[in-house]
Amino acid sequence: MKQLTRISPVSDTEAAHLARPGTLAELAERITVESPVQDAARGVSVRERWRSAKRRKWVVAVPLAVALAVALLVLTSLGRPGQRVGPVSVGPPAAQALSFSRHHGQITVIVRDPLADPAAYRAEFARHHLRISLKLLPVSPSLVGTVVYIGESGGADIAPITARGRCWTGGGGSACPVGVRIPAAFHGSAQLVFGRAARAGERYESTTSAFAPGEVMHGMRVRGRTVAQVLLLLRARGVTVPVFNYARGDVARNVRHVPGGWFVYDATPWAPREVMLSVGPGRTQPPVGAPQPLSSRAPVPSPTPTG
Amino acid sequence: MPSPLLTGRHERSQRFEAVYAAHHGPILGYLLRRTDNPDDAADALAETFLAAWRRLEDVPAGPDARLWLYGVARRVLANYHRGQRRRSALAGRLRADLAVSYRPPEYTGELAQIAEAYRRLPAGEREVLALSAWEGLGHGEIAVVLDCSRNAVRIRLHRARKRFARELAAGQAQSRSADPGLRIPNGDLA
Repeated sequence: MKQLTRISPVSDTEAAHLARPGTLAELAERITVESPVQDAARGVSVRERWRSAKRRKWVVAVPLAVALAVALLVLTSLGRPGQRVGPVSVGPPAAQALSFSRHHGQITVIVRDPLADPAAYRAEFARHHLRISLKLLPVSPSLVGTVVYIGESGGADIAPITARGRCWTGGGGSACPVGVRIPAAFHGSAQLVFGRAARAGERYESTTSAFAPGEVMHGMRVRGRTVAQVLLLLRARGVTVPVFNYARGDVARNVRHVPGGWFVYDATPWAPREVMLSVGPGRTQPPVGAPQPLSSRAPVPSPTPTG
Repeated sequence: MPSPLLTGRHERSQRFEAVYAAHHGPILGYLLRRTDNPDDAADALAETFLAAWRRLEDVPAGPDARLWLYGVARRVLANYHRGQRRRSALAGRLRADLAVSYRPPEYTGELAQIAEAYRRLPAGEREVLALSAWEGLGHGEIAVVLDCSRNAVRIRLHRARKRFARELAAGQAQSRSADPGLRIPNGDLA
């Protein structure tokens, strides 16, 4: 066993220091913003979840007074021209891909068209002597124009800028990450990933709850409803279900068909006008990762008669 | 020891933050030791603690919380290995940090042979060995993580150690036969 300890890739102490303290605190904060119960499974309304989330602060929220004290570059995505994110219109009036402007020691970079060629953005950043690449990934509607990922090297602390109430995100509640703040003295390199609208049939790379404002199942209740019933409700909204997620014991798998009499626990945006339903044979969802007694093993899914 | 009853949201948050503060390091360590992909470790950490937040009443008090979290993390990773991977919006910053700060080690020489012998073991045997050698757990603690009896752990560990020793010896023999020129004066093989 001594041999095995020699190939331990990382110790607990080392692991604890791999992330910045602010990052770890932010993760804890974002988790506690989440509803303590799974909304679809336990019937907590999105309105309740929204209210409770709004009362909590999100640690990523940037103290803007500090931001004004230093020269900053502000990158802001405003979504597609004319696009709506949740209840709010975020699209710029013009169709230009990217624009830079300087005001009071800040450079504001506006992404005007998240569907433009990312190479154009990289070139723009290079012209401003910033080694920053910008990538756009297809995301579900309420995440369009929000920051999905920030990767950086060089020690500078690139932080998101949030706009409260502009959208609903999986972890941020109503504090919508719409841009990032970069110190002017930034000499490292960074990769920024923003969410863009998906094209028809294109799978989302990042999603939030299908019940969030702006998503296709907003306002819909599925607790205690069968697959057949939910499919009918979705059909009325023009939404289809290409895949079902079905957990059996430790194993969760995606299947194309399940019995119509099974129950729906949750839903995740999959692609435009498509969702993935989490389903199972029982009326209530077993706890995440709960061991399943042999005697209660669910039957193998068979084709659903409701299509 | 049962978890204290949680009444208010504030109390709930405080309890979660205490669990998170005490165990995020070991759980991240556990995950990084079992995947070559730091992105997966970041996502699995978020998913594990999200499960803890949602099932806080089930999380045992005291040091047993870590065993409970290992059990959840194990199941999350098992799903990842079966292709049930979903990038978590919660873990974006952590993924970014790990991408910069962590690179899985690349072993050479004897360590590479040990790592290869370990990789050749079935997943269940790898896990029981790792819980013992890397997390330093005893039989009773491993039994809690794997949700089986202490006796079953003892048997699994015994089998896993034997198989690991066999795989290690086989790897070393193969290495010797692949490079017979490395014979040293006293007759042993390097």
